[in-house]
Amino acid sequence: MRISDRRFALFLMTPAALFLAIFVAYPLFRLVADSFFKISPIAGGPRDFVGFENYLRAFASEAFMGAGWRTLAYTAVVVTLEFALGLGMALLFTALGRSSQIWRTVFMYPLMIAPIVAGLLWKFLMIDNFGLIGTVLHQLGILSNPNQIGWLSDPDIVLFSVAIPDIWLTTSFMCLVLFAGLQNIPGDLIEAARLDGATAPTLLFRIILPLLRPVIAVALVVRGIDAARAFDTILIQTNGGPQSASETMSLLIYRTMIRFGDPGLASAMGTIYLLAMLGVAFFAVATIWRPGKDN
Amino acid sequence: MSIAERTRPDAGKAAAVTTAPFVPPAPAARRRRGVNREGLEAGKRSTRTLLWILLAAAMVLYGFPFLYLLFTSFKTPIDTIAVPPTILPKEWTLENYANALGRSGVLASFINSAQTAVISTVLSLVLAVPAAYGITRYKTPSGRVFIMAALVTRMVPPVAIGIPLATMMSSVGLADTPIALSIAHTTISLPLSIWLMSSFFEAVPRDLEEAATVDGCSRLGALWRVVIPVVSGGIAVTAIFAFLASWNEFLFALLMTAIRSQTTPVVIANFQTQFGLDWGSMTALAAVYSIPVILLTLLLQRKIVAGMTLGAVKG
Repeated sequence: MRISDRRFALFLMTPAALFLAIFVAYPLFRLVADSFFKISPIAGGPRDFVGFENYLRAFASEAFMGAGWRTLAYTAVVVTLEFALGLGMALLFTALGRSSQIWRTVFMYPLMIAPIVAGLLWKFLMIDNFGLIGTVLHQLGILSNPNQIGWLSDPDIVLFSVAIPDIWLTTSFMCLVLFAGLQNIPGDLIEAARLDGATAPTLLFRIILPLLRPVIAVALVVRGIDAARAFDTILIQTNGGPQSASETMSLLIYRTMIRFGDPGLASAMGTIYLLAMLGVAFFAVATIWRPGKDN
Repeated sequence: MSIAERTRPDAGKAAAVTTAPFVPPAPAARRRRGVNREGLEAGKRSTRTLLWILLAAAMVLYGFPFLYLLFTSFKTPIDTIAVPPTILPKEWTLENYANALGRSGVLASFINSAQTAVISTVLSLVLAVPAAYGITRYKTPSGRVFIMAALVTRMVPPVAIGIPLATMMSSVGLADTPIALSIAHTTISLPLSIWLMSSFFEAVPRDLEEAATVDGCSRLGALWRVVIPVVSGGIAVTAIFAFLASWNEFLFALLMTAIRSQTTPVVIANFQTQFGLDWGSMTALAAVYSIPVILLTLLLQRKIVAGMTLGAVKG
């Protein structure tokens, strides 16, 4: 006697589902539960139910609102720049065709580097005094003094500086995905447009980009979500400073939990952050991705 | 954008690349040279030369940061932080490597990293392969809900579940062990693995295991003996991604490990606080940690490219 297909499918999925339930759903439940308590950071310390007080404190705190805006700005900068650079590289590789293949491989190498290492090496390039970028710009006569731009010490620009390793790390991903998309555009179509006298910008904006739309959408969503969770690169470069100018949401929650010893408040912040991310994710998955649909 | 462009030395040059490939070769020139290029590929020789120069410039700028890290790791500790800095070492030495690897806990952290990554990879595959097969082969409503849920899991910020997860692990006596950390890493790699494996199973023709079941194979037998060998390439891709996700992970490792199971990324970050700013040792350790995976990429690049683009392009 055979068990039904439906049951067999369920049997195959159960172990993974149980794993995610125990190690993702349950910790999330704990997080949400903790957000309603005032918790002493000392193990075994008192736990008092305070209702929505932690949420009110979060929304009232300048640090939280600031971190929210900074996370948005950071995500926008990272995704925009790496999309522009990734598309440029993908077009360049496409224009050079098969002969550029080896360079496409080499171009991928940052994808394998740990974000913590990327953050470290860019910090080393941008750091005041012995940073190479300031020195080179000074030697080229662009800066009057190697420390004129405090890449990581000037609160006005630090949020952009800490984004650089992230952009450097994942422009390759954008490039790979867009390159694959470009290969699916039929050559005849481009040929026909050219014969009709289409100029380069027309070709790009009227034909290539519209055809790439689904690929672009997925790439932007995937990278957007990753960028909004950025932690490693920022922690090692500035630890959120100077004056919290590069403190994004992940860093703020981490510091509230670990450094300031306020798990209740940190949990409330985490819950709000999570809900915002899930809202965006649900919207994106439902409108763009549609996984598991029949072809 | 302008500020960010200023902060990125190669932004200007690389941005110029964006429009360059679209200088369409004049039809007359194409005919004259008799070059037969298709679609977006540039045909005219002068255009191609220009594009090669652009590519060379972009590659140099893109590759430089890591090369500089390598060069720095061979400097003497004093030259590492010399003002003004030099690109190449004045004197090549392995001093930084000796300092970094000689520090207590550094070699142990490599073993921890490898152990954690291997356990997490195996765990991800064991859970993801049957699940993805169940989702793609029997398109049941529960399967559809499940793959959605798995994708949503990918959106969960690690910082949100790191602390509760650490508390759970210590309450079952697994605090500060590679097992606990690899379970945490699997929460990251499992959704990705399910997604990748689903794409690979989607490409396997259904007739294959139908023929096997007609020949008397059970459904599990058909999966194990017929389907798995067909998707072994896909399993390899998924394994690489799961391994890298764990090898390079930092936040869970920071929250869940103390002394016994500390992985190398945490050790690298700790150099900064514990020992003052020991840049030389940090660059050496970072180089040692990154080079194996960069070589792995170059060796397996075809497979990795397939994995990266699968979801986005076919999905």
